[in-house]
This record gives sequence, structure tokens and C-alpha cells, in this order.
Amino acid sequence: MVKLSLDLDARTIYLLLILVVTVPVLSHTMLPVPISDTTKAVYQFIENLAKTKPNSLVVLSFDYSTSNVPELHPQAIVVTQQIFSLPLKVIFVAQWADGPSLTDAVLDVIDKGSKKYGVDYATLGYIPNVATLIGMTTDIQQFFPFDTRGNPTSSLQIIQQFPAAKDASFLMTFTGGEPGLDDYLQYWQTPFKIPTAVGATAISAPGYMPFYNSKQIVGILISLRAAAEYEFLTNEVDLSGAVSAMVAQSTSLLLIVFLVILGNVQYFVRSRTVRKGRSR
Amino acid sequence: MSRWELLLQVVIFSTGFFYAFTYYVRVSKPIDLQAVADSSLAYLTALITTAFGIGIINLTRIHWRNIKLKRPDWKFSAVLIGSLYWMAIFSMISSPFALDPQGVIIPSSVIAAIVPLWNFLYYDILVSINTSIFSLLAFFIASAAYRAFRVRTLESTILLTAGLLVMIGEAPISNLIWPGFSAIHDWIMFVPNTAGQRGILIGAALSIIAFSVRRMIKS
Repeated sequence: MVKLSLDLDARTIYLLLILVVTVPVLSHTMLPVPISDTTKAVYQFIENLAKTKPNSLVVLSFDYSTSNVPELHPQAIVVTQQIFSLPLKVIFVAQWADGPSLTDAVLDVIDKGSKKYGVDYATLGYIPNVATLIGMTTDIQQFFPFDTRGNPTSSLQIIQQFPAAKDASFLMTFTGGEPGLDDYLQYWQTPFKIPTAVGATAISAPGYMPFYNSKQIVGILISLRAAAEYEFLTNEVDLSGAVSAMVAQSTSLLLIVFLVILGNVQYFVRSRTVRKGRSR
Repeated sequence: MSRWELLLQVVIFSTGFFYAFTYYVRVSKPIDLQAVADSSLAYLTALITTAFGIGIINLTRIHWRNIKLKRPDWKFSAVLIGSLYWMAIFSMISSPFALDPQGVIIPSSVIAAIVPLWNFLYYDILVSINTSIFSLLAFFIASAAYRAFRVRTLESTILLTAGLLVMIGEAPISNLIWPGFSAIHDWIMFVPNTAGQRGILIGAALSIIAFSVRRMIKS
């Protein structure tokens, strides 16, 4: 009789997980990442927008909290960097209270090139509720009299050029949940036909697939992996550290797969042993 | 139903109906209803902000009483109130939520002194704590996957197989092992997942409509 005595203690599992995450991270091993269609769609849309409608308005919404930083912050960094390297104007907003601070953190690490604050980009800050989200589609100044730096929005050239959010040619939300994409789909994308994309955590991405299939959103960036894919697309490898995290992600996922298989093998062996015992 | 409850119902119904009506029907004469709806949103913002303020007052009252009466775990209440107000004060002086970011009233030297402190509290403490707590999920998932994910029934077998294939496909290294993993991962995400999610979405939307209508016409 095969006797399987590989019962793993929770502490052993934790130790294994620490090893498979830390060793690749500390060794800075990199891995080629195949580009998924959902990521490529976002990248291509932004590139085409810059070519077909230069100097048009892009709205980037930071709808995540500090707990989502490992998955969504790298996405925000690489997408913002791509937009800043193209002839596009950007307005930053946030439906989550942490968003404005995380926007500043992104702006601190990217290369802004020749882009000037107030002319090419502006940070409007926190959208506290749906009323503001709806209201700013027709009049930004009424709902955001000042930007996060204390400037009257009426004095910003970008707001004079685009006084309403419905003038946006592209909207992207990096979202850790609600409020996030759903609100933008209801109040921005559907009434004003603003092309929309989403940067999502791995756990919420499956819920956005119907919108991608129905072409309501142009693309989805799914978790940290999409940030790594985006870094390869924009030739900004490891700008956000996503590429070097891919080996750790791969090894940890494979460890979980291994643990599931091992757990089931043990379950079958035990069930068989119990059945044999009963038949005797 | 009391008179106040009736009045509340009338207000809820009228507001809900007004916004639903102006969303679907465009009325420009004699009054531009869309403009009225848009401008009233600013008052709604003020209303919601007031509700937020009431929340802070309530939180303070409850925890202040805990401290005053030295109830069990009153020290946590003290930490909560301290963190809430210190962070709020620092944020109002130096953050994207600053009340006077250009230093018109608050001296620039005060703002300059608070900047590193706020950055430390926010980026070095809060971000690190929240990220660590979120990352702990990986350990629970790994342990739970080993202990709980069992092939007991047909349904659990389907779920487990789909879950494993999506997980393998999500790992970039899987493409080096066998490129077919990515194709299977994409098919599961685009076809069965989309079908299931659509069902959930449509079902939830119908339920919300039914609940909203019931709430508006409930008497």
C-alpha cells in the first residue's frame, strides 16, 4: 500500500511561498512576457489616438487605494509614461480618496519631457460622488473650481481648451473595485460615447470581460502582468518594476498549482485507503 | 405611516423620478430640465459632504466616550482618534487635499515642514501597511488551495480544472512550457466567463431596477 506522508504544515507552505517570491525578486531575473490581446488593444488605441487626433484630451482616473498599489500602480506608471511621450493632453482625476496622492506618486517617477502643467496636463483631484462625476461631464469648472495645486481651473489652459469632460477622446480608469468602471460606463461612456479602457486587478478583471467582448471598452489591463506586457510594448522595460516581478508571479502561481494537485493526490490516496479498510 | 415618513417617501420618489426622467427625456421648454438637473447636482455634492461630516462627528463621539470611560480596548480608540485628526490636519496643510496649497494664509515654512512628515506618514507608513495586508492574502490562498480545493463532485472538478488552467495561463512562464496554456486561458476568460458574468450582470441590473421602483412607489 502506498503511504503518503507529505502532509504540509501551514508554516511550510508560507515558507515555500516566501522562497519562491523572494529568490526571483532578489535575483532580478527577467522573463519574456507574451502580450495579451486585451493589453495590446489599449496600447494600440492610445497610439492611434495620438496619430489621428493629436492634442486631444485623455482622462486618467486613479480609482484605487494603497492596498491595490502592487497590481495597479505599475499599470498607471507605464500608461501615463506612454501618454506623456505622445502629443496628447491629460487630466487626472480619482474616484477613490487615495487617488490624488497616488497620481502625484506616478507623476514623480515618470519622464514628463516637454509637457507643462496647466497646458498639457492637470490634476483635478478627488471626485467625491456620482453627482460630481455627472456634473463635470458638462462643466468642469463648476465642480472643480481649483486643481489640487490650488490654481483656479479657469486659469488653466487645458481646462479652457476642454471645459467639459465630455470633450475627452479617451478615458482610462485604474480601478480596484467600486466606484470605478461601472460609474464611467453609465455616466460617461454610454451618453457621450467616450472610448474607455480599464486597468483592473486580477480578481475583478473577469467581471469586465463582457464589456470588452461587447466593445463597450476598448481594452483591459489585467493585474501586474499587463504592466509588464505594456513595458515591453513601450520599450520601457522595468520602468515600474513589473517585468522583474514576473518570475516571482510565475513561481508563486505554479507553487499554488502544485499544492492543489498535491492536496488532491493525498485526498485520493486517503479515500482509497479508507474504502479498502471498510471492505476488509 | 407617519406624516414624516410620507413626506420622506414623496421626496425620495420625486427626486428619483426627476433624475430618471431627465436622463431619458430631453425637455428644453419652458424650462431646461437637464440644466436644472445638472445644477442641482452641485447641491447634492454639498449634501453628501455634510453626511460625511456627520460621520466624522459620530465616530469621534463614540471613540471619545470609549476613552473617557476607559472602556476595554480604549487605547485603540485613542490611536484611531489621534490618527484620524493628525492625518486630517496634515492633509489639509500639505497634500492633494490641501486647503491652502499656495500658502496664501498658512505660512510657506509651515507647509514646507509638513510636506516630509505627510509624505512619510502616507507613502512610507500607510502604503506599506496596506500593501502588506493585501499581500498576506497570497499566504492564505496558498494554504487554502492545498487544504480546501478538492475534486469531490463534478461541479468542483470543473471549477478546479478551470481555475488551474487560468492560473497556469496567467503565469508568464507557462508560455515557455507550452504556448497552448495561453490559448486555453483566453478561451475560458472570453467564452464561459463572459457568459456567466453577463448572466450575473443582467440579473443584478433587473433586481436593482425592481428594488428601485419598489422603493419609489412603496406606500
